[in-house]
Amino acid sequence: MSNMSPLLTSKRPMPREIGSGVWWLGDCLGQLYNGKIYHGYNAAHMVVGTTAALLSDTGHPKDFPVIEKHIEYVLARNSGVPLKYLFLTHQETPHSGGLGRLLARFPELEVIGDVSDYHLAFPQFEHRMRFLGEGEAIQLGGREFQIVEPVVRDLRTSNWGFDTKTRCLFPGDGFAYSHYHWDGHCGMVAEEAISLDLVDVCAVFQERALFWTTFVDMERYVERMEWQMKELGVRLVAPSHGLPVTDLERTWPEIRKGLLAGAGKFDDMVKAAPEVEARTS
Amino acid sequence: MSEATITEVVKDKVYCLHNPLQLDGRLSAYPKLARGWSTSNCYVVKEPEGAYMLDTGYFAHQQSVIAQLDQVLDRSTPLTLFPLRITEYMSVGNALAISRTFNVRECYATTIDALLWLDLEISSPNRKLPDIDSKVLRGELMLDPSGCGRRSMVAFNAPIRLLNTAWMYDEVGKILFSSDMFTHVWSDKAEGPWLIAGDDGVTSNAFVRAFLLNTGFWWLEGARCAPLRRNLRRVFETYDIEMICPGYGAILKGREAVKKQFDVMDAILSDLDRSKVRPRYIRRDLLR
Repeated sequence: MSNMSPLLTSKRPMPREIGSGVWWLGDCLGQLYNGKIYHGYNAAHMVVGTTAALLSDTGHPKDFPVIEKHIEYVLARNSGVPLKYLFLTHQETPHSGGLGRLLARFPELEVIGDVSDYHLAFPQFEHRMRFLGEGEAIQLGGREFQIVEPVVRDLRTSNWGFDTKTRCLFPGDGFAYSHYHWDGHCGMVAEEAISLDLVDVCAVFQERALFWTTFVDMERYVERMEWQMKELGVRLVAPSHGLPVTDLERTWPEIRKGLLAGAGKFDDMVKAAPEVEARTS
Repeated sequence: MSEATITEVVKDKVYCLHNPLQLDGRLSAYPKLARGWSTSNCYVVKEPEGAYMLDTGYFAHQQSVIAQLDQVLDRSTPLTLFPLRITEYMSVGNALAISRTFNVRECYATTIDALLWLDLEISSPNRKLPDIDSKVLRGELMLDPSGCGRRSMVAFNAPIRLLNTAWMYDEVGKILFSSDMFTHVWSDKAEGPWLIAGDDGVTSNAFVRAFLLNTGFWWLEGARCAPLRRNLRRVFETYDIEMICPGYGAILKGREAVKKQFDVMDAILSDLDRSKVRPRYIRRDLLR
């Protein structure tokens, strides 16, 4: 056990253990929407077994110094467990852009999952990338990390992950919503962020990464998410952008509303806002 | 890279820097089963007073892209970067390297703090980033690379897109820069052809429909396509387009060829609309 203190990147200490051996890492980034700055995470998560640890997503490239410290903090608390695997939900840079820095920093680390495009983005590490498909799994010791169906996708090559011990789902952009920095939400799990309006905060990512979800019948996708959560017995959700969900029964109905509320919001391509230049708050 | 080529799209005004992409199932922008070659296309729009660069290419092509830029641009020319898809490697992969070599003054992005999105390099992220002005690209934005009113361009949100994407129109070249749309024309050979005037030989409703549904546009089946059609039509009717310059694959040249691309897209969207196709959940890797 280390005597290092949690790193205070928000009002709540991060990294934060959201389930046994599942750690939430990263920092917020301001996103301009409707003339306001919303905060969203580009989180990474660590799953620590008895023989190996896995990192799910790298976080935003600008967050590497924070993520690196968070990884070191978690590894220090789990002496002798190496960080061996990097699973990436998809090829967008806020999810995978730290790949090069992480592979340089952790020589044992191997990238697993759908590793399309990375041979062009990080060709020097191509020999440390391994395709692993849906239904395949990585043994971490006392727990398994499975690659599961990506219901809500950003790219043809998206994947989601699942930890068998905590029944934690890693859905990448599947539960994508921002939060209110001004209400102190940074570092909170969804159930602690009482003033969070999920219909409002889902819209930020609907405009950016999930434009398509405002044109399809999202009810079909939401039903599939519900089927998947039941099938896998999901108890915890660790999204990349949204706050972690620790009580699905309480929070899912609100997220459901947010996911369905996007229909028609961006039908007029120009209406999507000539906005003034702004800086991260 | 020997197959890297430059197309002078409009004499001394617009260049395309092509770098080859092998289609072997490992490229998210193409169907998993597509085989052959495509290209990563970065465009340089040039005036004596300044230039724009649309997308910066994959890191794997860095030396080539910089060598190509050296062939079309003086290193002292003020350069503005436009990564058309700020979260994708193909758009931002070489932005910092180009900024260190050329006179990059500004970077436009659909997010704030554009520079934060460019820094993917392995060396320490704590080092000082280049002094580049971050500009926000939102809604419709009038632009001019000459800086003196001689060259009118406009950037706008892509009317149909997967991720955060901008398109641009250049009035001088009558060119639509369409980023990841109209990218379905590739080749058996690494050398192309990468500029096709007239009939491209593959564009048909069935071919383009399969391409879209097996790439980033799987979701169109059973979607509300009417607004997408309306927005696409608006682009076609607003701008006098004689050439489509996509981010991947062949440039499509000729007024009739452009019309055909838009007509095919419109027909596909009409056929896929929820009024004709029952909406359903589409699984990953469902081949259609």
